[in-house]
Amino acid sequence: MIPSNNRTKSGIIFIFERASLVPALVGKAYQILNPDDHANFLRRHKKNPYDYRPEIIYQVLLEVADSKLYQSGLVQAIYVKTDEGLLMKIEPHMLIPETFEKFCALMLKLLQKFSIRARGKREKLLRLIANPVTQHLPSNCYKIGLSFSSEKRVHLRNYVGALNDDVNLVFVVGAMAHGKINCDYTDDIVSVSESPLSATSCVRRICCAMEKKWKLH
Amino acid sequence: MAKTKTDSKDDSEKKKKNKNKKTFSKKLLSGPSVMTMKSKTPIESPFETIWSRKKFNILGKKRKGEDKRSGLSRFRAIEKRKGTLLKEYEQSGKSSVFLDKRIGEQNESLAEFDKAILRSQRARQLKVTKKSKFNLSDGEEDDDIYGSGPFSEKDDFEEELPPDDDADLDEMEMKSALLKHGNGSNINDGIENKQKSKKEVMEEIILKSKFFKAQKAKEKDENEELMEQLDKDFTSLVQSKALLTLTQPSKMNALNALVNKASSKEFTKKDEITAAPPRKEISKQEQPDDYDKLAKEMVLDMRARPSDRTKTPEEIAEEEKERLEQLEKERLKRMSANDDSSDDDDDDYKDLNTSSAKKLKSISGDDLGDSFSLEEESDVKKGWVDEILQRDTDNIDDEEDESSEDYESGEDQSDEEGENSEPERKTSLKDWEQSDDEKLSIDLEEGEEEEDEEEEGGEEEEKEEVEDRTMNREDMRNTKDIVTAKSKNKNTNTNTSSVGLSKTNGKLTLGQDDALPYVIEAPNSLAEFRSLVDDRSDSEVAEVIYRIRTCNPITIEVNRKKMQVFYGILVQYFAVETNNNPLDLKRLNILVKPLMEMSAQIPFFAAVCARQRLHLIRAQFCEDIKNPEQSCWPSLKTLFLLRLWSVVFPCSDYRHVVMTPAILLMCEYLMRCPITSGRDTAVGSFLCSMVLSVARHSQKFYPEAVIFLRTLLMSALATETKLLQHSQFYYLSELKMLNPWLRLQNCVSEVQPLDFSMVMNRPESSPFFSSDGFRASVVMSVCETLRGFVHTYEEYNSFPEIFLPVSTLLNEVARQKYISGALQDTIKDISELIEKRAGEHHMLRQPLQMRKQKPMPIKLLNPKFEENFVKGRDYDPDRERAERRKLKKEYNRERKGAARELRKDNQFLYALKEKDRALREEERTEKYGKARAFLQEQEHAFKSGQLGKGRKRRR
Repeated sequence: MIPSNNRTKSGIIFIFERASLVPALVGKAYQILNPDDHANFLRRHKKNPYDYRPEIIYQVLLEVADSKLYQSGLVQAIYVKTDEGLLMKIEPHMLIPETFEKFCALMLKLLQKFSIRARGKREKLLRLIANPVTQHLPSNCYKIGLSFSSEKRVHLRNYVGALNDDVNLVFVVGAMAHGKINCDYTDDIVSVSESPLSATSCVRRICCAMEKKWKLH
Repeated sequence: MAKTKTDSKDDSEKKKKNKNKKTFSKKLLSGPSVMTMKSKTPIESPFETIWSRKKFNILGKKRKGEDKRSGLSRFRAIEKRKGTLLKEYEQSGKSSVFLDKRIGEQNESLAEFDKAILRSQRARQLKVTKKSKFNLSDGEEDDDIYGSGPFSEKDDFEEELPPDDDADLDEMEMKSALLKHGNGSNINDGIENKQKSKKEVMEEIILKSKFFKAQKAKEKDENEELMEQLDKDFTSLVQSKALLTLTQPSKMNALNALVNKASSKEFTKKDEITAAPPRKEISKQEQPDDYDKLAKEMVLDMRARPSDRTKTPEEIAEEEKERLEQLEKERLKRMSANDDSSDDDDDDYKDLNTSSAKKLKSISGDDLGDSFSLEEESDVKKGWVDEILQRDTDNIDDEEDESSEDYESGEDQSDEEGENSEPERKTSLKDWEQSDDEKLSIDLEEGEEEEDEEEEGGEEEEKEEVEDRTMNREDMRNTKDIVTAKSKNKNTNTNTSSVGLSKTNGKLTLGQDDALPYVIEAPNSLAEFRSLVDDRSDSEVAEVIYRIRTCNPITIEVNRKKMQVFYGILVQYFAVETNNNPLDLKRLNILVKPLMEMSAQIPFFAAVCARQRLHLIRAQFCEDIKNPEQSCWPSLKTLFLLRLWSVVFPCSDYRHVVMTPAILLMCEYLMRCPITSGRDTAVGSFLCSMVLSVARHSQKFYPEAVIFLRTLLMSALATETKLLQHSQFYYLSELKMLNPWLRLQNCVSEVQPLDFSMVMNRPESSPFFSSDGFRASVVMSVCETLRGFVHTYEEYNSFPEIFLPVSTLLNEVARQKYISGALQDTIKDISELIEKRAGEHHMLRQPLQMRKQKPMPIKLLNPKFEENFVKGRDYDPDRERAERRKLKKEYNRERKGAARELRKDNQFLYALKEKDRALREEERTEKYGKARAFLQEQEHAFKSGQLGKGRKRRR
């Protein structure tokens, strides 16, 4: 990779819709609800434990952070919209915590304090921002939603390869267990597989396609 | 909670306010304002129903006290102000205030009747005060104040005790109960007991003291009994054996004495016990008991019983020295005894000799150092011999013959030479024995014949012989001893000078006559040392050095200096020995081991010594090289010293005070010395092999050695034209004067390994150096050294560049006409080896390519978060700062709150004033309007002309 090429690549933006990050007061402490630890608690409150899946968004973030794209600084920003409608922005140079417990602790702090700084610096890495997400996106962006429900089935690599380089690509991926994303701001909604994909594999495909397109090895 | 409290308070206040307001409105306020307030209070205002909005619905969170009625709280704040601020404001204009200070009037919760009660209570209290005590009672009031006065206690009526005195009664009862307990006998009932006379009390006290005394006496008796029991037990314990094993004998005696005393005391005590027991007790207590003392001592004893500590090296050395001294003393004693009894002189002498020899043997066999040295030496020597005399394997016949001829010619010069006539032999244990055995033969020729036989016969025969010898050794020893004694006698005759020298030292002469002295002072000069060592067998020399070293253990500070001197002498001796003709390698080998050990002990001095010598050698070399006629190649002495240092000092150090200059010197020799004779080639190749041995350890590259070897190989080429082909490095070796030193003229049937010492001893112009045999063996040795370098440097990346030209050269040499089969094979071997290794290196090499630019990963930052984050808690690790921040926050909150309150107060006051002003304005305008209307009416009337008439009319 030659760094001078970087200027031509504008980078991509991820938006993860319907992430399940629900804080609850379990006992005396706040916790992010997950089906493993809080099944009884959720049942007591007449909720379905399997609607609360924070590990999906965690794995997705890990996947993004693992990609070459992320490490080369070509992911511009990551937006996560929770089921409750909170919108958070993750700066692209944040180190994702290595365990799920730590991730939950991070999210809890974020949900209580609304922003999280870097260790030893004043820079904000995570913050809650105002809806809608479109006001935070750059002007020349092309928003692609990925949904199995879409009629338009494409081969992602070819599809991405055909797109122009100077527009900012925005990928909207659902980080939920069931259902589909319902966002009206996307320019295009495509389906990339014959079968419904997990968010993680979806992200992996996107990253692979983009790396191929920009010849990152 | 707080909120609810305030709520209830507010509620109550509100009610009060409502009430007050009514009164106020009547009293103070003017009409309209009252009207507004009234209208506000009774109906629930719609503003009060405004609730705070909740943002998140959090699962599991109780929502109870969370919701706020912001409108209501605002309303309450206003109400509160009305209660306080408004009043103050209203009072501000007044100069006097009406205060209602009636009792209970302020408290609204009290009913009228309760208020009355309170008032009457207060009235009574006033009367009860001290002043009223002396007032004459009015009679009717007596009933009221009954019980509170001081006389009440003395009242006749016992039954009707005032409630105040109940406590007193209880106390008395308690006391009586106590007394009952103490006496344990008949005591009257509580009521009677209550009033105790002084006498009774005293009686009680006396009784008590008696009781306690009795108890004390009883305890004392018990104690004494117990002590007696203990004493009995103790005596039985002392007599039992268990204690005996545990304690030391002296202590045991003391214990026994103690027991005896105690038993006697017991008897006396029994007599005395009636007489004056308390006094005795006191005395007992005063002076510390014998038993206690002993017990304390024993406690210490048990702990302090250490084992022998490990000895320090000094002490070990000291002991060794003492042992040797003891041996020496015995020996001297025996010797003098021998002189006295000259009857059975011979037998005794023989016996003694054998015994001493045996002892010597036993020392050398048992002793750590010596037995070790045998092994070690053989090892070290193997290295030596391998390096120096790699070439001689089996057949050294002709050379040997020559050398032995030399020996024969120089035989009568000294016996020493004759003794060490078998020169180059690996010193294994066998050889030691063998050499000892061979001392048997006075006739040297016999020995030589034996030798020849051995060498011709080969290994097996030798072994057999050795076995035979070991069998017969015991028998032979006697004769051998005689022989050595004889030869030594001869020595003393011939070497008068040395004897004269040694006579100065009484001990030494004594020792020299028959056996070695056990205690040998460290010699101060080489001559002294030589007198000690000359004419000794090699084993004895080793023994001498060993004894000198044990007698002067270097660990003791005084000996350090001595040993340094001795070390210098040893090195000097070593150097001198190398100059001997013929070379006595065995003796040199013996010297190597003590030198090595001593260098380890005094490294600094050894290094200084070596450096000094290096300096001299180098200076000599610089002188020599200026003179083109003279050969500047190093002498045998220099070579051996260099070799010694490379053994003594670590060659693998990156930088070493001795080895670095030594190696540099060696390389300089190789580089700068011109080859002027065949001898030089031999010396050069020897130097190369030494460099190789260093390179093996240090893995450093010495280009001089490789180039020198190449030069030698080139000189083996047949034609001049071929020489020119290799001119690319010719300039490097222009000094070498490339003559075909090693070119073979004829075919050599067999290549013999070189005998280095022999080579060195020959004059430069000897025809031997131009013989084909010599040349072939030099080429062979060059090839072997080259092989060593190939193996040493095969890991180098530049291996192909260094050795490939050598391999082509080797191939060319192999193609020469007269190269024999064995030589050709080794040469081919080496060149193949080089090519193989070079090929491997070439395989590993990769073509030059652009340096890959690794994508720089962006710097990732760690988010700061905590496990179990709780909002509002400060997670600053610096507690002090956190505390400060907390206080600051609190202060800010308070400040803001206060500012807000003040602002609201001001707003409230302003609103109030505004209202007043509006009211006044209204009144004023009203008045103004009225006045104006009146005036207008008047004017109207005046103008209309009805003024006069009208009035008149009205009136």
